[in-house]
Amino acid sequence: MAVLSSSSNLLLLLLMSSLDWLSTPGFALLMGHQRVTSPAPLEPHITECISRDQATFQCWWSQGNYHNLSSPGALRLFYIKKDSPTSEWKECPEYVHSNRMCFFDVTHTSVWIAYCMQLRSQENITYFNEEDCFTVENIVRPDPPVSLNWTLLSISLSGLNYDVMVNWEPPPSADVGAGWMRIEYEIQYRARNTTKWEALEMQPQTQQTIFGLHIGKEYEVHIRCRMQAFTKFGEFSDSIFIHVTEVPNKDSTFPLTLVLAFVGIVGILILIMLIVVSQQHRLMVILLPPVPAPKIKGIDPEMLKKGKLNELNFIPSGGMGGMPTYAADFYQDEPWVEFIEVDAEDADTGEKEENQGSDTQRLLDLPQPVSHHMNIGFSNAVSYPDDDSGRASCYDPDLPDQDTLMLMATLLPGQPEDREASLDVVKKGPAPERGERPLVQTQTGGPQTWVNTDFYAQVSNVMPSGGVVLSPGQQLRIQESTSGAEEETQKKGKEHKGDEDSEEDKVKELQFQLLVVDPEGGSYTTESNARQIGTPPSSTIPGEGYQTIHPQPAETKPAATAEDNQSPYILPDSPQSQLFAPVADYTVVQEVDSQHSLLLNPPPRQSPPPCLPQHPLKALPAMPVGYITPDLLGNLSP
Amino acid sequence: MPGNIRSVSFVWVVLVCLLFCSRLTSVGAAPICANAQSGCHVLSLANLFDRVIQHSARTHGISNDLHSEFEQYFLPSKNHIGRVSRNCHTSSILTPNGKDNAQRMAREELTEVILKLLVAWRDPLWHFHQSMARHHDFNNFSSNKALEMSDMVHELRQGVEKVAEKMQVLGIISNTLSSLSSPEASLPSDSADWRLMKDFDLLYCLRRDSNKVQNYLKILKCRIVPEHGC
Repeated sequence: MAVLSSSSNLLLLLLMSSLDWLSTPGFALLMGHQRVTSPAPLEPHITECISRDQATFQCWWSQGNYHNLSSPGALRLFYIKKDSPTSEWKECPEYVHSNRMCFFDVTHTSVWIAYCMQLRSQENITYFNEEDCFTVENIVRPDPPVSLNWTLLSISLSGLNYDVMVNWEPPPSADVGAGWMRIEYEIQYRARNTTKWEALEMQPQTQQTIFGLHIGKEYEVHIRCRMQAFTKFGEFSDSIFIHVTEVPNKDSTFPLTLVLAFVGIVGILILIMLIVVSQQHRLMVILLPPVPAPKIKGIDPEMLKKGKLNELNFIPSGGMGGMPTYAADFYQDEPWVEFIEVDAEDADTGEKEENQGSDTQRLLDLPQPVSHHMNIGFSNAVSYPDDDSGRASCYDPDLPDQDTLMLMATLLPGQPEDREASLDVVKKGPAPERGERPLVQTQTGGPQTWVNTDFYAQVSNVMPSGGVVLSPGQQLRIQESTSGAEEETQKKGKEHKGDEDSEEDKVKELQFQLLVVDPEGGSYTTESNARQIGTPPSSTIPGEGYQTIHPQPAETKPAATAEDNQSPYILPDSPQSQLFAPVADYTVVQEVDSQHSLLLNPPPRQSPPPCLPQHPLKALPAMPVGYITPDLLGNLSP
Repeated sequence: MPGNIRSVSFVWVVLVCLLFCSRLTSVGAAPICANAQSGCHVLSLANLFDRVIQHSARTHGISNDLHSEFEQYFLPSKNHIGRVSRNCHTSSILTPNGKDNAQRMAREELTEVILKLLVAWRDPLWHFHQSMARHHDFNNFSSNKALEMSDMVHELRQGVEKVAEKMQVLGIISNTLSSLSSPEASLPSDSADWRLMKDFDLLYCLRRDSNKVQNYLKILKCRIVPEHGC
């Protein structure tokens, strides 16, 4: 029993000693670790070492349970700086015995170098713990920031919350200006009468905003700081108190601004609506522009609707499409050309061609009613100048009145009259013209030679035998009709009679070509024949594209011999014009005298045949009807 | 006319868009100083310094985290301080150990010290990363940090070299730094000690040295370009 008790006592003693041994402050002062609170250490030990500015530091010690060592000076502190292998223990440079603290000043402080502390008693008993080693940067705890104050930042619209801006100064002991210490701050706040502190995020700036504080509550705020990337915080600063009471003004203004804004928006909306409603049509036009109706020059859609295809105005050149103006000028003196072309491009061209061919024959040989085509031609020719000038719009009726027509006809050589007039002329068909064979002349040369000449005549009547009766006294008209007919025949010849066409074409390419139309067979005489007929009386001028053929009886004779007794050709300025009955439709203005009256038929002059081309109009017979009096002059368009 | 209106409005819309887009992009982008633009230098040096200091702070933070994690997993049985201070491979590099010393040191010297430190850590960190990859005790997080550490130190060194270059160009420091192109030669021959160090010791040394670098950079910056946060 005693042995057991003794052993148990021994065990207990052992346990106690081991406990004592364990309770040494071994790991209490581990570098970078928080102080572990252990049961009252028995040995003298270093309590804590702290640096405030990373340039100096202090160490506190305690005697533990060795109360006999509590007197100042009983314990001494020694340190070693492990910057070299031959370092030694040194005593504390500055004692503060009242606090049991050792102060290391700047000269004795080296950063990034390991320090070890130990306590020695007077008897040279060393109380040393290896965990009491540290480096200065790891024991830095900055002083708390100073000058903490707050300003009201904003109050919420509801008037229940507000934001506060808190700012402070870094601790004066920390040399932030030199960059020696980089500090980050932590603000903590709590409402009064609460225990839990709200911590805001750490940040290195010297100001921070606290959001979401409640009106009427009082808040307590304090701050602390630490070195960046280190763990040891400094002490908390003194608390400041924030208290904001209700602000009643804000509420009244709030709804007023809302109301004003609402009224403004409503007014603007009403304005916009008014504008839209009033300008509806214009807006519609802008947003949805109307699609333009198709418009073809010279074609009146109204006419199309009425179905009067015949009365449609075709563009004299190029058919239904755009009309190049040059073509108009080019063929200005040659309306018959255009006439034929347009007809060719009609819907049923083939049929028309055939009709025209037969019509041409009929035109030349037989006095069949080809008025249809002629009318078309006339109307075409009539309408042709309208496209160029003078017309108000394409939809205007293209039938000018009689007077203007006459004027136009007289002024512009080659312009046939209105179709009624032409019809009349055609129907006049004077008997003496029967038996005459029209001689169709065509121009093969340049247009310039045509300007001064009038080589067309108006067909007064068509002989049943196929001859064309030209209006007497109007060499122009005769030439017109003949040339027109000739062109017609030319075209027909092109399209239907290949050999003859080629011949015609070839002939056309040369200078001037006379074509004597066979009234019976519808065949054409060749140029040789024509020349035979025509050349003797007239001197052919190769340079000119125009040859005048004098309608001399002698000339007509060979023609008559070749064909039936019909006059082969008519000359514009031959005295033979007297043979023809005067046509009262139109004439050519020769001169304008001082009284602004137009002289249509100057006294004919006997001029040699070569001169005839230059003065084609001189042999015109007097046409009382064709005179233009001054009052009619006004109708002329300049 | 409607066609004209439409085209005009389209062009106007395009112009407005271009205007706003250019404004947005211009707000986001800060002007970058070209190499040789006058009036731009001082600001850009401060900017460079700030960036480098931020980078060094981050480096130090990560090394701190690594060290703490190491301590958690491998709490050393005894205090290693005494041992370690002799074993850091960068102990041979003379560094200022106090504020006054650092402030009294010449700029060129200080910059040189920083670069020496950074250069000395290139190889050890790479090897550390390799050994971390082999250690299965450590989680991936730590090994990533270790790899990151190697890159960060490398970038930090490049940044400091850039800063030194800029300072030389501006005439703030003399051109004696040009010899630093290969500072490995300046290290003592026993620099291979780091291979003998354990990982934990290496981390401890790294933490200390990264703090040194951060401090020196900050001192340099506040001495040369004191504006913006000194």
